[in-house]
Amino acid sequence: MDNIFSNVLSVCVFLPLIVGFVLLFLPNRINLLSRALALIISAITFILACRIFKAGAPDFAWRLLDIGGAKLDLLLTAQPLSKFILLFAMGFGLLITLYSLKSAAGTKQPNVYYGAVLLTIGGTAGILLSNHLLFLLIFWEIVTLSLYLLISTGGRNCNFAATKSFAMIGASDAAFLLGIMMVWVLSNHTFVISEISVATTSALPIIAFLLLMTAAITKAGAMPLHTWLPTSGEYAPASVMALLPAALDKLLGIYLLVIIVRKIFVLQSGALSTILAIIGAATIIIAVMVAMVQHNLKKLLSYHAISQVGYMVLGIATLTPVGIAGAVFHMLNNAIYKCCLFLCGGAVGHAAGTAELDRLGGLGKKMSITFVTCLIAALSISGIPPFNGFVSKWMVYQGIIRMGTEQTGGAAALWPIWLLAAMFGSALTLASFVKLIHSVFLSRTPSELKHVREVSPAMTIPMVVLALLCITFGVFYHLPLKTFIYPALEIEPGTAIFGVWQSRLATVLIIVGIVLAWTILHISKKVRTVPTWTCGEVQKNDEMIIPGTHFYKTVSSMAGLRQLYTAQEKGWFDLYNQSGKVGRALTDFLRWLHSGVLPTYLTWVTLGLLVILFMVCKIW
Amino acid sequence: MTEPLNILLQILVFPGFVFTVALGLVASWVVRKVSALVQWRVGPPLFQPFYDILKLLGKETLVPQQAQRTVFMAAPLVGLAGVLLLSTMLWRIAFQPAELFVGDIIVAIYLMVLPSLALILGSSASASPHAAVGTSREMKLVMSYELPLVMAFIVVIIKTGGQISLAAIAEQAPVLSVSGMLAFLVSLLCVQAKLGFVPFDMAEAETELGSGLYMEYSGPLLAIWKLMQAIMLVALPLFLVTVFMGGFGSAGMPLAWGIGKYVLVLVLVILIKNTHPRVRIDQAMKFFWVYCGIALAAAVVLAMIGNSCGWTWL
Repeated sequence: MDNIFSNVLSVCVFLPLIVGFVLLFLPNRINLLSRALALIISAITFILACRIFKAGAPDFAWRLLDIGGAKLDLLLTAQPLSKFILLFAMGFGLLITLYSLKSAAGTKQPNVYYGAVLLTIGGTAGILLSNHLLFLLIFWEIVTLSLYLLISTGGRNCNFAATKSFAMIGASDAAFLLGIMMVWVLSNHTFVISEISVATTSALPIIAFLLLMTAAITKAGAMPLHTWLPTSGEYAPASVMALLPAALDKLLGIYLLVIIVRKIFVLQSGALSTILAIIGAATIIIAVMVAMVQHNLKKLLSYHAISQVGYMVLGIATLTPVGIAGAVFHMLNNAIYKCCLFLCGGAVGHAAGTAELDRLGGLGKKMSITFVTCLIAALSISGIPPFNGFVSKWMVYQGIIRMGTEQTGGAAALWPIWLLAAMFGSALTLASFVKLIHSVFLSRTPSELKHVREVSPAMTIPMVVLALLCITFGVFYHLPLKTFIYPALEIEPGTAIFGVWQSRLATVLIIVGIVLAWTILHISKKVRTVPTWTCGEVQKNDEMIIPGTHFYKTVSSMAGLRQLYTAQEKGWFDLYNQSGKVGRALTDFLRWLHSGVLPTYLTWVTLGLLVILFMVCKIW
Repeated sequence: MTEPLNILLQILVFPGFVFTVALGLVASWVVRKVSALVQWRVGPPLFQPFYDILKLLGKETLVPQQAQRTVFMAAPLVGLAGVLLLSTMLWRIAFQPAELFVGDIIVAIYLMVLPSLALILGSSASASPHAAVGTSREMKLVMSYELPLVMAFIVVIIKTGGQISLAAIAEQAPVLSVSGMLAFLVSLLCVQAKLGFVPFDMAEAETELGSGLYMEYSGPLLAIWKLMQAIMLVALPLFLVTVFMGGFGSAGMPLAWGIGKYVLVLVLVILIKNTHPRVRIDQAMKFFWVYCGIALAAAVVLAMIGNSCGWTWL
C-alpha cells in the first residue's frame, strides 16, 4: 500500500479515484469544496500525464493476491499508445472541469457530478495504463458507472437516458468479461496484455475477438449498439456529453479496438476485417443520414458522435499503416472537435435556454466567440481543408485505397464501397452542419432571444483552446503525427502517407488569396446598412424566419428513404427497444402463468409430471 | 528567383489570379455569347464581363440590417481564395508536373467544395428568407452531386491503379474506356451543377428566388463572387481535363491540344446549359443519386472487371 503514492502512474490513477469516491458522499451544502477539489485534482492529473508523456514512468506492480498458485497483480505500464491518449484524456478532463464550473451542469447535485467527473478521469487513466485485462475491465466498469451518475445529474427524463446507457454499455461489458475469459484460456492462462498474442484461425478466438470488439464499439458508440448515445445526448448536460461520449469514450473504445487488433489478436481472417469495415461504413452513412433530420441541437451532435466512429473503425479495418494511423489520428481529432461542439451546444443552451433548432437563430451576432469556435469545429468535422478533420479523413481514404490495391480478400475487394461511404458521408456531415450553423448562429434572431449574451470566460476558454487545437493539428499535421501517432503505433515516419497535402503552403496561399480579394474589395470604401430586400413586396419580413430544420425535407420525403426514416423514428432499429419488447413479452407470459388460481397450477404440475414420466419411461 | 517569391508570383499573376481571371472572364463571355446566339440575340461584346466587374467594384457595399456582418463580408473572400488555390494547383500540374504542389486529387475534390460552402455561409449570414431557401437548395445540390462525383473519382483510381497524385493521374486518360467515359460524362454534369448553370441553377433561380444565394450581395462583394465564378469556369473544366483526358498538354504534347480539350469541355457545358430547362431540387437529387448513381455503380464494376481481366478498354 505504501508505494501507491510513490509511483507516478498509480498516483495518476488512484488520486482522482479516491477523491472522486469521497466526493460522491459529501453533503450537497459544501459544494464549493468539490468544485475546487475537482479542478485541482484534474489539473494535477493533467500535469502528471504531461510528465508521463515526456519522461516516461517506471512500471507499477502491486501484488494483491497470492494464494497458492493464484496470483493477482495490478500492473500499470506507460506504453507509447497509452501515454499519448492519457495526455489528451487528462487534458479533456481539465477543460471540462473548468467549463463545468460556470455551466448549469451539476448545480443540482454538485458533489455527485464532480465526484463522477473525477472517477471518470481516474478510471480512464486506469484503463489506459493497465497492462492486465482484469483490471482494465474493472476500470472500464468504473467509467461506465460514472457515466450513469453523470447522465443522471441532468434535467428531465435523465434517469431514463442514464438507465438506457448503463444497460447497453453494461451488456457489452458482459461480452467483454466473456471475451477476456476466452482470451485467458487461449493464451495459456495469462491476463497480461503484453504477453498475449492469439492467432485468429479457429472458432474460439474469432468469437473472443467479436466479443471484445462489441465492448469496444459499444463504448465508442458505433452501430448497431449506438442508441444509448442520442438518448443521453438529448437529456444529459452538454458538458457530460462533451466529456464522455464525445471525448473519453471515443478514446477508450478506439484504444481498446487498436489493442485487440494489433496486440491481443493477430488478424488473419479476412472475414473479421470485413465485419469491421461493414460496421464502419454503415455507421458513417446511417448515423449521418439520421443526424441530418434532427431538430434538437444536442441530439444532432450525438448522431455525429456516432457517425465519426465509423471513420475510425474503417481506418482500423484497412489494416494498413496509413489507415490505422489515420484512424487513431481521427480518434484524437474527433475528440477535440466533438468536445468543442458539445461545449458550444452547451453554451448555446445555457445562454438561450433551449437546444431546439426551431427556436434558435441569429446568435452569431450575440455570441461571437461561441460562433467562431463552433464554426471551426464544424468545418473540422466536415473535413474542410486545412482543418484537422480533413487530414485524418484523408489518411483513412488513403488506407482504403492502399488496402484495395495491395491486399486480397473480401474487405479489400469491396474497397470502392468503403471509400464511397467515407467520402460521401463527409459531404452529408457538411450538410448537417450547414443546417446547424444556419439555424443557430446565422439566419434571423427570434424576438425572445434578443437579449442573449456571450457566456462567461470559464466556458469560452475551453472552447477556444479546442478550436485552436483544431487549426494547429490541421495546418501543422506532421507535428502531432510525429510526436504522438507514429511512435504510439510503431510506424516509421514518412512511410505511411503516400498522398500529397502541403497544408502550410496551402494555408499561406489561401491567406494570400483572402488578402488579395480584401484589397480588391476596398477599392470602394462605402458600406451602407440597409433593410433586407423583399422584392418590393410589403410584408412583415422581419418576423419571417426560415429555420434550418426544413432544409432536408427533400431528403426525408424521398421515396424509399421516407419509410426508413419513419421506422427509425419509431425505434424499430433500436436494439434496446427491441430487446425491451422481447423481455416485456417474456414477463407478460410469465405473469399470465402466475395467475394465482390453484386449479391452473395443479393442471400445469400434472402436465409437467406427465411429460417427465413420458421422457423417463420412454413410452413412445 | 527564390522559391517563395516564385510561388507568390504564380498565385497572383501567372497562372494564378490575373491570368485565370482574364481567361475565366473570356470564357464567361463565350458562354454568354453562345447562349445569345442560340436564343437569336446578338450577345455582349468581348469586354462586357470586364466592364461588369469594374462597374460593380465602383459601387457601394450594402449590408442587410440583420446580417451576421463578418461572415457576410468574409464569405466571398474565402470562396475566391479557395478556388484560386485550386486553379493554381491544377495549372501547376500542367506546367510543372514533376514538382509536388499543395495536394493530390482528394485535396482537389475537397477544395472544390469550398466555393459552394462559402456561398452557402454567406447567403445564410445575410438573414434573408429568399437567400435561406437558396442556401438549402445549394446544400442539397452539393450533397446530390457529391455522390456521383466520389464514384467517378473511384473509377479514376481503379483505372490508374491506385494513384492519387494529380500528376500521375494526368498521364493517363481514363476517358478512353467505357467506364472512364461514363465517369467523365457524369462528372461533366456535376461540374455543371458546381458552376450553378442551367439545368442546376435552382439555388439562384432568378425567376422565383430573385437570385437566391446572391440576393443580398451587391457592389464589390458581388464583384468578388463574379470573379470566383470566372475562376471556377477555368478550374472545373481544367479538373476534368486533368483527371479524365490525359492532362493539359503535358510533356510531349503541344499546348494547342490542351486548349482544344478545355474548349471541348466548355462547349459541352454550354450545350447542356442551353438545351435544358431548370429542374426542381428533388428532381436533381433523384437524378444524381439514382440515375447517375446506378450508371456509375456499373462503371465501377466494369472498371474492376477490366482491371482484373486486363481489358483496359472496359
